[in-house]
Amino acid sequence: MSGSFKYGVSLYSYTDDFGTVMGLEDAFYHVAEASATGIEILGEAHVEGYPEPSSAWLDRWFSLVEKYRLEPTNYACWIDTDIQKRRDIGVEEAAAQLTLDLNLAKRLGFKFIRPKFGVIDDELTPHPVWEGATERVLDLAAKLDISIIPEIHAPTPIRHPVVEAYIDFIQRTGTRHFGLLIDTGIFQDRPLPSWQHETPEMRELRSGAMSFLDGIKVPVEQLAEVIDYTPFIQAKFHHIDEDLHDHNIPWEKVVPMLKSLGYTGYLSSEYEGVRDPWVAIEQVRRQHALIRKLEREYDQQHAAPAAVEA
Amino acid sequence: MLERNHIQTSGFSNIGPEGNRTGFRVRLRQPNYRGTRVSLLEGIDVTVDGERYPSQENRFLIDGREYGHADLDTLIDVRWPVGTTVDVLIDKPGGLEPGVHLVETVVLYRHPYFPPQFRPVPVPDSRHATIVL
Repeated sequence: MSGSFKYGVSLYSYTDDFGTVMGLEDAFYHVAEASATGIEILGEAHVEGYPEPSSAWLDRWFSLVEKYRLEPTNYACWIDTDIQKRRDIGVEEAAAQLTLDLNLAKRLGFKFIRPKFGVIDDELTPHPVWEGATERVLDLAAKLDISIIPEIHAPTPIRHPVVEAYIDFIQRTGTRHFGLLIDTGIFQDRPLPSWQHETPEMRELRSGAMSFLDGIKVPVEQLAEVIDYTPFIQAKFHHIDEDLHDHNIPWEKVVPMLKSLGYTGYLSSEYEGVRDPWVAIEQVRRQHALIRKLEREYDQQHAAPAAVEA
Repeated sequence: MLERNHIQTSGFSNIGPEGNRTGFRVRLRQPNYRGTRVSLLEGIDVTVDGERYPSQENRFLIDGREYGHADLDTLIDVRWPVGTTVDVLIDKPGGLEPGVHLVETVVLYRHPYFPPQFRPVPVPDSRHATIVL
């Protein structure tokens, strides 16, 4: 048996609960109780006082990490490219934002940051400042030993110029501190009945720009083409029923593929479904139960045959 | 902890001394999953009992300071964190009658990572909320 997955939870899963029925310690508790070992946060959501948390808050953060024995995994941040209605930021401003988040992520003990750059089209092509800004902070990332991992997120598939540009960047710079974060939403193969960010205008475009909500159905085999550049996976999902059946993401294909590719990084839950109070807590637990079950089954099928007794 | 709705009933109140109300306030929690710099907020329209109060005419109380609609685009370093509120301040001589009102809001957000055709995206909420006095 090769290595196993690491299990984490992004606090994004608890959106709308956080701040209304859930505080930071509650969130740590629920992640730890799901037997996860990693915690992922959004800097500009879960760090009180972002971008300059107080020393009291920092003390609290470290005490929670220790009390619940959770490893800070990925720290999500945003590069707000069209920062004003009629002004886009330049490379310098974008690099300054990345610098700020790299330093804060390091302070909190994270190993990865996921920058979400603004985009310029329906296929989520990042704003052109991404490349120059990222290159400027590569030395800092190396010094802090943090990897910068933009996400590959529906409707962007694996075989796409956005992914090619990121891989070209890695090859050109030779950096070991830049990679891809795969969001498992790209494997969604059945439609979402609704999406929390969807407006009536978007709904009318289900046959056009918003058709990705029906699933872009990237074949899981294509993971082989990017797995070497993928140190972290966000396990996006929307609904898992009482029979541990996921209504949108084909885990029964995703898990064996990741196992066969030898992936041993994190699967960090990103629940993005119904936002009624406390639903996310149960949904995350179901997802972990489901993926752990599939991982066990794979391991059993691929275990070395037991020695036959004479 | 704040209420689940974006529109908070705690904080929904008249402005000015009793008998000489000058307007009212609508309190909203940050409706987005992340905190945002205020320059990404393109406005907040309010409707109460069918009467519209467009963003251009409203003022906004953000982290203890008051701003006008035109200021929002300039506030690149002022943030609206998750789990905190902004008050929309609305001029209305006499204020609102004490009692239950139907309050509707639309927060207009420019998400740079959304396709350009969906900027800004309207984030609506509505509920009954009560003016106590």
